[in-house]
Amino acid sequence: MLQQLANGVFSGAIYALFAIGFTLVFGILRHLNLAHAAIFTAGAFVGIELATRSGIPLWLLLPIVAAAGGIAGVLLERVAFRPLAGRDDEHFAGLISSVAFGSVLIALLQARYGTEPQSFPSGYFPNQLYEIAGVRVTLVQLLTLGLALALMLGLAWLVSKSSLGRSMRAVAENPTAARVVGVNVGRVTAGTYALSSSLGAVAGVLLSINLGQANRDLGLSIELIGFAVIILGGLGSLWGAMAAGLILGLAEALTIHLFDSTWKGLVAFALLFAVLVLRPKGLFGSVRVREV
Amino acid sequence: MSSPILSVESVHVSYGRVEAVRGVSVEVDEGGLIALVGANGAGKSSVLAAVSGLVRPKAGKVLFDGRDVTRWPAHRRVGAGLVLVPEGRQILGTLTVAENLRLGAHRRRRQAAPIEDMFELFPVLAERRNLPASALSGGEQQMLAIARAMIARPRVMLLDEPSMGLAPKMVDEVFTVIEKIRATGVTVVLVEQNARRALRAAEHGYVLDTGEITHSGPAKELLDNPRVVEAYLGAE
Repeated sequence: MLQQLANGVFSGAIYALFAIGFTLVFGILRHLNLAHAAIFTAGAFVGIELATRSGIPLWLLLPIVAAAGGIAGVLLERVAFRPLAGRDDEHFAGLISSVAFGSVLIALLQARYGTEPQSFPSGYFPNQLYEIAGVRVTLVQLLTLGLALALMLGLAWLVSKSSLGRSMRAVAENPTAARVVGVNVGRVTAGTYALSSSLGAVAGVLLSINLGQANRDLGLSIELIGFAVIILGGLGSLWGAMAAGLILGLAEALTIHLFDSTWKGLVAFALLFAVLVLRPKGLFGSVRVREV
Repeated sequence: MSSPILSVESVHVSYGRVEAVRGVSVEVDEGGLIALVGANGAGKSSVLAAVSGLVRPKAGKVLFDGRDVTRWPAHRRVGAGLVLVPEGRQILGTLTVAENLRLGAHRRRRQAAPIEDMFELFPVLAERRNLPASALSGGEQQMLAIARAMIARPRVMLLDEPSMGLAPKMVDEVFTVIEKIRATGVTVVLVEQNARRALRAAEHGYVLDTGEITHSGPAKELLDNPRVVEAYLGAE
């Protein structure tokens, strides 16, 4: 039981990390970026490629994956969203073009790696095992949890306290007023995508490290759960996404414990619909990112 | 004779097919105060939008401090010291009063005034520094909008309808603040529907009508010009 809950916390942390990146872009820019799952998958492959080819250590690999994710985010904004700015159907068109961007990315990954799972080289990360109160956890799991929490708190700090965060909240509320006070709205927009995508890429590589491998469909598994997390937490709410990620992770783990793993998808979405019916704004209301 | 710090040269502004500004030229010397007056929809705000970079003129030029800034993005103009206090205040209501002020300063870190200076000037803002700006009254929000521009220590401040929608007492206060800004050597471009009041504060005035300048000259002369009085100022 405890073991299952611990596993639930680990997957929940990854769901939450995936979801905060997605919800950040929505909260600031009102864009639904459906390429987020593809960037998540790409992050995993970049990590595996780097580990296999250069054997660089994990502590160096993660920042490189984050940087690659950031670059992908800037590119995504540039080609899939910016050209549509100011159009009447900006939001709907952006949704479609982000799906297209994601498909291109997945197709490129498939061209390079095929459909077979790619693995990290054996012995790449320590497989130390700890036993805490009868629960077995690996060092990698602990690192994942610690890093995910640190990144989420770091993002919350950045949005609420830093100068960039202030500019982001200004853009979220009123882009014209932001321009009046001298905010470079284009740069803040690109920066929001860079942050979001680098979190998504890191979430992807963390999941693949825990699995030891990744395949083309890695993002599919998390995409729907990730969206359920975002709705559950309230679209645009960072704290909501974090809490809902953990709740869904735990709910899945409990389902596996009480029934079996075939039921876990059902529970996640049953929970989603229950929340939608009972609290249409999500567990935490539609608190916006700017109100973090 | 010094060359003007800001000059607008035959600027045209269009929104779709609607031509809001048709060849307007305006200039102001460093340290001066000019007023752009005229009826609602005369194109006054569009001139300021073109000067501050919120819209790109279809034709014409904006020169600031000897440089052609016509194609500069808005944030770069703010950085150079050309700062707008927009119509309707455009306060960021979800941000705190202090955050609004810090945003106002962020593009001009080197020149900006300490935030405490603004609180000294506007004690009402000091009391509410950590409240969301949406909690302020209309008059307080206008003060915040002006303080947010002042903190950047601009070289030219563009004020768009600063007295709009305010109680008479607040209007007096706004004009007192404008005098203070003037006194610190900042050049002011004032757009007002309260034409008489604005022309009394200004040295030079421009009267706009349907996107064109119909009268211009020393503000005193405009106030005494019977045709201007009849068409734009009305009975006192």
